[in-house]
Amino acid sequence: MATQEKGRKFIVPIGPQHPALKEPGHFEFTVDGEIVTDATVRLGYVHRGIEKATESRSWVQNLYLLERICGICSHIHALAYCLGVEKLAGVTVPPRAQAVRVLVAELERIHSHLLWVGVAAHEAGFDTLFMYSWRDRETVMDLLEALTGNRVNYSANLLGGVKIDVTDEQSDAIWRGLDFLEDRTRHYLDITTSDSVFLRRTRGIGVTTPEQAKRLGLVGPTARASGIWHDLRVDAPYAGYADYPITMIVSDTGDLETRFVVRIKELFESYRVIRHILDTLPDGELVTRVPRRIKAGETISRVEAPRGELFYFIRSNGTDSPERIKVRTPTMCNMASVLALAVGHQLADMPMILVGVDPCFSCNDRTVVVDQGGARGGWTWEQLRQYGIDYYRRQP
Amino acid sequence: MNAESTLTIAAKLIEAWTVETRTPEANRLDVMVDGAHLLEAIRVLVDEGWGYLAAITGLDTSVDSGVMEVLYHFCEGAAVLTLRVSVPRDGASVSSICGIIPAASFYERELREMFGVRVEGMQGPKHLMLPDDWPEGLYPLRKDADLTMKEAEANGDSREG
Amino acid sequence: MIGGAGMANNLEDRWQQALEQVKTWARANSPWAIHFNSGSCNGCDIEILATLTPLYDVERLGIKLQGSPRHADVLLCTGPVTRQARDRLRRVYEQMPEPKFVIAVGSCAISGGAFQGCYNVIGHIDEVIPVDVYVPGCPPRPEAIIDGVAKLLQVLQGTEVTKPL
Ligand code: SF4
Repeated sequence: MATQEKGRKFIVPIGPQHPALKEPGHFEFTVDGEIVTDATVRLGYVHRGIEKATESRSWVQNLYLLERICGICSHIHALAYCLGVEKLAGVTVPPRAQAVRVLVAELERIHSHLLWVGVAAHEAGFDTLFMYSWRDRETVMDLLEALTGNRVNYSANLLGGVKIDVTDEQSDAIWRGLDFLEDRTRHYLDITTSDSVFLRRTRGIGVTTPEQAKRLGLVGPTARASGIWHDLRVDAPYAGYADYPITMIVSDTGDLETRFVVRIKELFESYRVIRHILDTLPDGELVTRVPRRIKAGETISRVEAPRGELFYFIRSNGTDSPERIKVRTPTMCNMASVLALAVGHQLADMPMILVGVDPCFSCNDRTVVVDQGGARGGWTWEQLRQYGIDYYRRQP
Repeated sequence: MNAESTLTIAAKLIEAWTVETRTPEANRLDVMVDGAHLLEAIRVLVDEGWGYLAAITGLDTSVDSGVMEVLYHFCEGAAVLTLRVSVPRDGASVSSICGIIPAASFYERELREMFGVRVEGMQGPKHLMLPDDWPEGLYPLRKDADLTMKEAEANGDSREG
Repeated sequence: MIGGAGMANNLEDRWQQALEQVKTWARANSPWAIHFNSGSCNGCDIEILATLTPLYDVERLGIKLQGSPRHADVLLCTGPVTRQARDRLRRVYEQMPEPKFVIAVGSCAISGGAFQGCYNVIGHIDEVIPVDVYVPGCPPRPEAIIDGVAKLLQVLQGTEVTKPL
């Protein structure tokens, strides 16, 4: 590839601290001038050792621990775990509980996608959109709080069901909230596909072809934006999704703009499904009994988290705590694509490419520039971001 | 296509290297393979475009048995095919599948780090998740891992946590 | 500075005085904060971020979230302290200019929360650096975080802790 003239090869480390779940990364981009020629990652700054910890906690305690793997998609972690354990225990969860689970999962998806739209817009230097989307996101946070009692880590699941019910007033409130959000979402779709400045940062950037996406093992909206027909809510409906079907949103352009479009269009699907659930919520129990000891066995539970497929492998040896729980989070898959995509792109695009996969990170980072020639300087994430914004401003 | 028939196709594909199969759930198929033939089996799955690698799980069930297992989960729709390779606890090693599935690199790095399974032919820095000063030869997800060094480090604070 | 109190006998004066106090509070304190995650689940982090957005908008109170520790007065810590993050947490703290203050946000930061006993978690924030304000909750609501900062400011200004209006 690039001719390495007796050159000044720079390594730009970004990170190490991405406030993220299991997968905060420390990236090192090797650059040749403006162009990234190599990228590596080091994870684990927030590695806490949760998988090991599950082995010394009871089945019920683990519910609360696993929910805290990620504060953004907490419900879906708890849900994947519950579905797995219920399968092992051989219990059937009442339909109303399954419907409520889907309801909360979709509300969570709305909050997560809106959050991402904001963060991604921020990285592109479009803070107005960041502020607007987060303002509107508060609507869904209020709904979640009204429903479950907490804004984050809702703890709606129990082994064998859910601990919350949806009253008529709550249902009305959700309807009203969704009407408002739907209106706003249309506006976002319009902005992200028509604002010419913003499009400079997204259109044609970070293109992932379907072949690449498959090879890299992308999941979730990131994969669907690259033409991969893969959504567990459709492929392998879990919880209540069989009764409340979802239409998959797929597009094969594969650039950052498409990732915006796919995620925003998924919001409309979520609104539709939530309304469907509220309209036809089955009556009945909310929870069934699950024994304290779970039958020995192994099971695999896969669910569609806001960021993609979440994979749980659960093994019980018949005691009151699991023998092994393996969690494979979606970002783990998508992170690989960052490394592959980075190569050949401008350094200025790195924040956008990183954020394009929704790597579950939120705010400020620190970076250091190490000139392999010897000199040393400091860069903050903020500076890199600003650099990206200025870079695009300077372009004719 | 339903999960059962998808799995039947997969079972056919890798029949040659199958040591034993199990069907723990309707949508799942567990296939024991010999570590020596792992790459061939995976190569066929990938060439035929059957599913994608969803995860690699290390599994240490008991210290006494002297073996651990490495599970390669492939998914296609609702169907899950798990290739199970058993490795000795001492000198555990499997071949890297990164040549076939580049996306596996994180999973393999995690496997090496958490279980001390050597992954032949794998690239990348030593640590993925654990700190650089992590004790050599301590693999946290092994059942017999002694993780008590925590207290020693906690600045003399020996309260029960 | 708050000074010259005591002469307020009529309502007008008292109103003026209160107004002065509020103004002083707002003027004298535009604390810049930096946020550091030493192993959290992201829940606390998104709530901190939420405080910046229009509904809560801490900038109207003069609080600004800052990227560099060298410019920060207040360190907002979230999460338990993992083995890797410990030194970085110390370093961030040391890089901050005096006077500096630390707010531990969330149960994890206070006690290790749900992650107590995990092998890669060494403990909570105040085992590594001194903490001035604790904000409990899992995660604390944005209001609580803002209240935490406000409490800190009141301590800084030497005024008493929250008087109802
Ligand atoms: S206190 Fe709760 S929300 Fe905050 S980091 Fe800990 S687990 Fe997450």
